[in-house]
Amino acid sequence: MALLQIAEPGQSAKPHERKLAVGIDLGTTHSLVATVRSGRSETLPNSKGEHLLPSVVRYRADELPQVGAKALSHLVDDAANTIMSAKRLMGRGLQDVTRLGADMPYAFEACDDGMPMLRTKAGLKSPVQVSADILRVLAQRGEASLGGELVGAVITVPAYFDDAQRQATKDAATLAGIQVLRLLNEPTAAAVAYGLDSEQEGTIAVFDLGGGTFDISVLRMQKGVFEVLSTGGDSALGGDDFDHAIANWVREQRAIENLDLSQQRFLLRQARGAKEALSQLEVAQVSFAGWPGVSCPLDLELDRQQLNELLDPVIAKTIRATKKTLRDAGLAVDEVHQVVMVGGSTRVLRVQERVAELFGKQPLTSIDPDRVVALGAARQADVLAGNQVGEEMLLLDVLPLSLGLETMGGLVEKVIDRNTPIPVARAQDFTTYQDGQTAMVVHVLQGERDLVQDCRSLSRFELRGIPPMAAGGAKIRVTFQVDADGLLEVSARELTSGVAASVQVKPSYGLSENQIAGMIKASWSNVEEDRGARSLREQQVEADRLLEAIAVAMQADGERLLSEVEQQAVVAQMEALISVRNGEDHHAISKQIDVLAKATDEFAARRMDDSIKRALAGKAVDNI
Amino acid sequence: MDLSKDYFSNFGLTVAYQIDLAALADQHRQLQQIYHPDRFVAGTDAEQRIAVQTASYLNQAYAVLRSPVGRAIYLLELQGMEPLAPTNTSMPMDFLMQQMQLRERMEDIPQAADVESELDALADALLGMHKSLQSAFAEAYQAQQLGAAEVIVRKLQFIDKLQQECNDLEGRLLD
Repeated sequence: MALLQIAEPGQSAKPHERKLAVGIDLGTTHSLVATVRSGRSETLPNSKGEHLLPSVVRYRADELPQVGAKALSHLVDDAANTIMSAKRLMGRGLQDVTRLGADMPYAFEACDDGMPMLRTKAGLKSPVQVSADILRVLAQRGEASLGGELVGAVITVPAYFDDAQRQATKDAATLAGIQVLRLLNEPTAAAVAYGLDSEQEGTIAVFDLGGGTFDISVLRMQKGVFEVLSTGGDSALGGDDFDHAIANWVREQRAIENLDLSQQRFLLRQARGAKEALSQLEVAQVSFAGWPGVSCPLDLELDRQQLNELLDPVIAKTIRATKKTLRDAGLAVDEVHQVVMVGGSTRVLRVQERVAELFGKQPLTSIDPDRVVALGAARQADVLAGNQVGEEMLLLDVLPLSLGLETMGGLVEKVIDRNTPIPVARAQDFTTYQDGQTAMVVHVLQGERDLVQDCRSLSRFELRGIPPMAAGGAKIRVTFQVDADGLLEVSARELTSGVAASVQVKPSYGLSENQIAGMIKASWSNVEEDRGARSLREQQVEADRLLEAIAVAMQADGERLLSEVEQQAVVAQMEALISVRNGEDHHAISKQIDVLAKATDEFAARRMDDSIKRALAGKAVDNI
Repeated sequence: MDLSKDYFSNFGLTVAYQIDLAALADQHRQLQQIYHPDRFVAGTDAEQRIAVQTASYLNQAYAVLRSPVGRAIYLLELQGMEPLAPTNTSMPMDFLMQQMQLRERMEDIPQAADVESELDALADALLGMHKSLQSAFAEAYQAQQLGAAEVIVRKLQFIDKLQQECNDLEGRLLD
């Protein structure tokens, strides 16, 4: 522990050396970037003075993607290539997406590993790539506003995101070349924004209803420490559902059938417009002017009462989740001192009414609900970058969903319960169930249900080489470690022999290191911009990343899958890259990156074959 | 911080059943301020890894110490006992009878005329039993009657489980 005591927190940064860090709210409908300047947290606008960046990306053939307002303007006329709400697809498999797909006007295609890809004019795009394109624009905005390179960013995620969704978000940041200082839960970020403004102590509930996600968190604030007591929600529930409910009603009223993509978009846009108007007015018009179809339906009116009827079933789900989360925190509604509203969808009056009714007090809305998350994230980024000296704030968050392992009979044995404070490490011992069993499949799951099929499968790996013993003789200890980002790492070890295996849990529908490296390369070859100091830095980062990915792969499988000569060839190219990487010539680095990547193509292919074989072998083991 | 020492020492507490919970919470906050991974974002990989391990340890220790049952179990474990060993199942007959009655009472609640007040009454009864078992444990432990203390811990576990089920039932019935 001596290491820890040497580092005096907060005192490493020199007083005048301010590090540039931003908070990014990567939202379903729009995103924001914020930073702390002169002690104040503020969101950063683009050159036109706009703060909100619509989370919309339009892909075009042979051109750079359009991101934000420009892309948004093509939502109807180029629906298939204009991707919105990509956040709802993050970390999901094709099956989950197909469920949402009825409401999403895109052409999906399964990639080899089951990850859903969107078919666009610029080729197949994963939700991770779409998010990376948004993040890249925000990071550039941050650098342009602050006039320097960022040391990193705090990126917010819904508290209710599972491991796969968190990992996908982190992958998107990596793809965009952003150093992630921390993944921060959105309600916690909002509490920080409110907490620091009011310097209050006490219990606070954060009700966060965004475009596509709902979170509810209960926190205790004391002496600069924000301690999350419990969290709950629904990672597929939000204002989009309001719009769909309204659009469906309009469709029924006008007996419209068989919508094409553009018509669907049109209806959703009108539905959203009516919903927003009804926060001010008693009655709103749903206009069909500009309807992309042959026969134009008649306009119609929507009043507040009808709106409330349409929205109540969705709002009821949020109220149920809120009650449950309070119970998890062991609190009664009257023990909550403040209720904070976050997310654009809390502008809907009916939502405010129902929340006020539940808590018996008016919720706080003094900070713009669209910006509050980014503002809080910027505070955390400032602290993590080391800019705050002395009394520092600290955020103690929890695991949103239980983690467990598959046991006999397709049952899930929980290893870490939800709402456990993170970081957390837990170990659980298992044993073999057959005489002479020498391998064991470790299947990691997340969720609250008892059956494997009802939980999210995060990862599967095998522990091999267990010495043959009688059933029940081996003692296998599986250790879960969840870090401060809420990301899981699992290792397994047979205690009598010491045979070990470990995985950084890569979600079943996530990206492999190689895929990320490849995508980074592809995205950079598209960017037309000055190749000055920035390019050098980028190429160095890319080189480091590639070197690390290959080093890890070599260590794991080099000896097994490559001959000695082949190994030496790879090592020689790695050394060549290391030497140019330390120079100043970004062209040379870029060239050597290509050479190294080519030199390892065959290795990558063998690894893939090998993992497929193992997956098949794993099945056999499973069925022993 | 020496992770091989017992939880009490690392939180600056004397090894005892009755502890100052406010002081424990305060100490936890202060230790996390020092050792949490957020303080080592710019640190080396090794420092970051150690920070994750230390913060995990602190969270675990805090959870055990502040839980009345967790703390009792931990105290006995420090004495080299295994109160939760699967072989350790024999319980006094009167206690088992009482458990069965409580369980039947809980099962009848969904059919009760006034569900909410029945739930409250049961929750109050369980809390009362929990509290008196805690006092009994404190006395037995103080007097170093470890065998008796072990039986009390297992009783506490039963009540704990009932409390959880009662809570879950409340969630299902009142939403």
